[in-house]
Parts: sequence; structure tokens; C-alpha cells
Amino acid sequence: MSNPWIAIGALALVGVLIPVGMMAASYLLRPSVPEQGKSATYESGEVPTGSSQQIQFNIQYYMVALLFVVFDIETVLIFPWTVVYRDVVANVGLAEALYPMLVFVGILVVGLAWAWRNGAVKWVRSPRASRQLDHKP
Amino acid sequence: MQSETPLPSAMADLLGLDPSNPLVIFVMAFVASLVVASGLLTLVAVSGIWGKRKITAAFTDRIAVNRHGPMGLLIIPADALRLLSKELIIPEGVDRPAWDLGPLIMVFSALAGFAVIPMGNGIQIADPEVGLAYVFAMASVASLGLVMAGYSSNNKYSFLGGLRAVAQNLAYEIPLILTGMSVVIFAGSLRMSTIVAEQADTLIALGPVAIPQWYAFVNPFAFVLFMVANLAEVGRNPFDIPEAPTEIVAGWQTEYSSVYFVLAYLSEFIHIFLGGAIIATIFLGGPAGPVLPGIVWFLIKIVAVYLFTQWARSAVPRVRIDQLIEIGWKGMLVLSFANLVLTAIIVGVIA
Repeated sequence: MSNPWIAIGALALVGVLIPVGMMAASYLLRPSVPEQGKSATYESGEVPTGSSQQIQFNIQYYMVALLFVVFDIETVLIFPWTVVYRDVVANVGLAEALYPMLVFVGILVVGLAWAWRNGAVKWVRSPRASRQLDHKP
Repeated sequence: MQSETPLPSAMADLLGLDPSNPLVIFVMAFVASLVVASGLLTLVAVSGIWGKRKITAAFTDRIAVNRHGPMGLLIIPADALRLLSKELIIPEGVDRPAWDLGPLIMVFSALAGFAVIPMGNGIQIADPEVGLAYVFAMASVASLGLVMAGYSSNNKYSFLGGLRAVAQNLAYEIPLILTGMSVVIFAGSLRMSTIVAEQADTLIALGPVAIPQWYAFVNPFAFVLFMVANLAEVGRNPFDIPEAPTEIVAGWQTEYSSVYFVLAYLSEFIHIFLGGAIIATIFLGGPAGPVLPGIVWFLIKIVAVYLFTQWARSAVPRVRIDQLIEIGWKGMLVLSFANLVLTAIIVGVIA
């Protein structure tokens, strides 16, 4: 039994070589006909205005990303517990294996409930969008 | 049916080479990877270029491709050549290295995930102890490519699509992994071959027919949750809002043409099959099945998951982004926590 990561590295290399090979094949095949207007970004036929890398976007995307960090770390911490769980139950007993993790998950669920009540997972509307909604006939 | 040595070692043994030599293993694994990747690309070509059109046409009462070859099958090489030989248009103001690397990372992450999948008949490139964690980690790397593509395209639709893709992957990643972990509680290992082997035991014997202990039968609730979370992970209806053709043109791939479009399209389909492979391995007994050889059963299972995504694509309407966030964080996350805790309690009480 050899180190499995050597083989995984080989597949990773293939995973890079295939797209690069396709790019190379396309480079040899494709024409290049530069024309004015072709390289404008697509905005449904309008002339594009401004850069898209400085636009303001909904704060919600940031809120769920923050929430994700918490729960992602939590999943990492649960992983080893799930692996040893059955052995621990068999050797030490159900209470010893289950209750600490129940407390841990419980704290996280309380955190989720708190975020829920504070509206972190509720879609935020900008004041302008809310005003427009209120003024709908 | 399931051989214990991974494919590179078995190949080295067959050729009379020393399997403990790292270089020999690397070369063998490279050859094996080429074989697996070619098989995958063929599968994607058939399902992505031809199958997708035929299935959508059947749903919407049309005929679809039927001009080239039997049932229009020759459209596959024709379209592959057509797409690769298109002119590459580089829009103004794109953030150059990121814009080129985005599609590359997506394809890489999808292909690399297949390293630990046992495909039957001993076809498994590697079998590390952390197999399941590795495959989840690799599948999530694609999010990085999506952000790069969305941000660097200098297009508002792309930017919105990239943001949506990330919000969606964040919201469904945790239910996906938590549900996957409820399977690990049964199997007691992250090693893919062990998870498959644990499912070979008989659950109930109905006369001569023995129903195997596949985790989809043991814990159908987890299976349904995982299927739904997987639909969101691969971005198919009802969760195809990162692309949402009726809202934001094509989402993060709006500005991609020529080979970059091919790579983006390719990565989506490889991700569907990677999702299918994960589902087959941890819920459907991997390559196990009666009569037919393992690899055939494995293919049947992943194609079944693919057909399910295509059915959902044609039959289910798209949810809005705010609905998606609420379904993910308020619905799926709570349900997957409940599933994990209930599974732990039930397994603990029975054991």
C-alpha cells in the first residue's frame, strides 16, 4: 500500500493538463477578427457604464458569508466525532459520547436562532427598494 | 467484487513493477487518471451536448438534434469542434489572470474530486483515510472559480451571478456536509472503500432477495436532504439562480466565449457527475449491484442522478435568491442538524 496522495497528485496534474490542453487546441483552431465594439461587455445591448468591480451590492451576501464561517468551522469539529462515535458508544457508553456533542450543537443552534431573530438570514432590502415597494399602487 | 488495492498499485503489480516505488506509482496513477478522465469526458460529451437537448426536447414536446448520424449522435464531435474553434472575445477591462484561471479551477476541482471515488472492478485511483472529507473539500474549491469568474468579468450580470453562486454554495454546503456526516456515523470511517464495504451487509432478507444495507434505505430522510442539497450545489433547478437566464443573462459565465465557455460548461457537467458519484458511494452502495459488473452499476447510478437533475431542470420552477437563502438557512440547515442528532441518538441507542 503506497501513499495515496501520490496518486491524487497525478490526478490533479491530469485535472490541470486537460483544460490547458483544450485551451491550446482552441488557440490553434480559432480565428481572431478584432472589431470595434466586439469587446464591449454585455449589458443587454446598452453601452456599458462604469466598472462592475466597484458597484455596491446587497449586504446580505456579506452576512451569510459571516454566518458560514461559524458553521463551517463547526462542521470541521463534528467530523472526528462522527468517525469515532460508534466505538466510543461501545466502549464508554452512550451518555459520554452523545451529551458533549449535543451541548455543542445546542450552542450553535442557539446562535442560529439569534441570527435568525436579528434578521441575518432574512433578505435585506435597501431603504430605496422598500420605499418603492410601499408606494406600489 | 471490490478489490482492496487501489488501481495504480494493481497496475504496477500487473506489469511486474515495484509498487512501493513512488515514481512507479505516480506514472501508473497518471495513466489511470487519463483513463478515468477520458471516460468522464466521454460521459459529459454524450450527456451534455446530446442527452441534455434530447431530454429537454422530450419534456417540451420537440424533436431536438436529429440530422447528423443515428438519433443525431454525430452532433457530439461536430459541436465539440465548433465550440473549440470559436473566436475568443476578451472583453474590455477584464481582470486578466483571474478571468483565465476561473474556468480552469472549476474543471480542476471537479476532476480532482474523482480521485477517491470507488468505481467498481477495482477502479479507484487512491483510497486515503480522509476520502469523504477530501471529496467534499475538492468539490467546494469550485466556488473559488465562480467568484473569480464573476468578479473579473467586468460585467454587472457576471458580478451578480458570482455573488449568487457563492451565497448559494455557502447556504447549501453545510447541510450537504452535515447530512454526509450522518452516514459517517453508520460507517465509522471516512475511507470510501470502508463506507462502500459497510453497505454490503443485508438489511432485510425478503425470501431469496436480500436487500443490502445501503444508507439510502437505512436513512431515507438523509438521502432526500442530500439530493436536494446536491441540486443546489451543482446549480440546477430549482436552484439555478447563479445563471438564471431570464434574470441575469447567463450569470457568471456571461462574458465567456470559445474554449472558456466550453470549460465552464464542462465543469458544470463534471460536477453533476461528481455529485452523482458521491451520492452513489455514500447512499447507494457504490458500485454494488446484482448480476452486472461493478463499473456498469456505478455508471447506472451516476446517470440516474444526472437524469434526476435534468428532470428537475425541466419540471421545477426556479426559486428567488431571497427564497433560496431562507430555504437554505432556515429550512435545510435546521433539518440537517435534526437529522444528525436523531441519527446519533438512534445509532447510539441501538449499538
